[in-house]
Amino acid sequence: MHEELESRLREALRPTTPPPDFAARVMARVVPTQRRRATAAWWLAAGLAAAVLIAVGVQSHLKQQRDIQAGMEARREVMQALRVTNQKFDLAVRTVHEAPGV
Amino acid sequence: MLVRAQQRAVYSLALRMLVRSDVAEDLAHEVFMQLYAKLDSIESSGHLVFWLRKVTTHRAIDQLRQRARVETSSLDEVADVGAHDEGDPLWQQRLRQLVLQLSPDARAVMTLRYQEDWDPTEIAALLDMPVNSVKSHLKRSLDTLRQKLSGETCTKS
Repeated sequence: MHEELESRLREALRPTTPPPDFAARVMARVVPTQRRRATAAWWLAAGLAAAVLIAVGVQSHLKQQRDIQAGMEARREVMQALRVTNQKFDLAVRTVHEAPGV
Repeated sequence: MLVRAQQRAVYSLALRMLVRSDVAEDLAHEVFMQLYAKLDSIESSGHLVFWLRKVTTHRAIDQLRQRARVETSSLDEVADVGAHDEGDPLWQQRLRQLVLQLSPDARAVMTLRYQEDWDPTEIAALLDMPVNSVKSHLKRSLDTLRQKLSGETCTKS
């Protein structure tokens, strides 16, 4: 009885074939999902690339600004040094001219 | 290709669990969609077979628990779904009806045992339950079926 029931259960519960267009309908649902995922991945990559480019551009601009600032500072220092040197030179000339016996 | 190779097992499992062919088909579709999303994590064909059955069974059990109970009228309507030419069709229909009256866990155990021909150890791994629970589900379900069938035979005679 036990084995007979089990054998009848195996017959009754045998796998059933799905409708003929089952696989086609699954693929019809899978493909747009994969395409959406690929599009999303493309946009993510494009976004990351754009962010990297912007970061590099900003960094380069800031460095350029820093270089210009440093150049201006150096120029100011050179001019200051020249002015000081010029004053010292004028003072020396004046001292030599005003010295008795010259 | 992959869908064609596995569709019969996945669809049948869903159908035996959920009764209605449209609901079973929908669940089978979702399982394959999930498979395509996780295809990279599948390590072998054996893993694929196990994964498909596991996801199908667990999703079906979840749906059955949400539904709470299936009305008897709908069982009568759909018990013919998946009928075979071989064997006694009335017996097969009655057995399928009786299996559908079991609890979701017991139904899953019976379907995996008699449709997929899996042994209790494999079923236990798939359902995340102890082997002894699987064995006791099998024994109790077979006893219930036998009692109901013998009761019907006595009533008829």
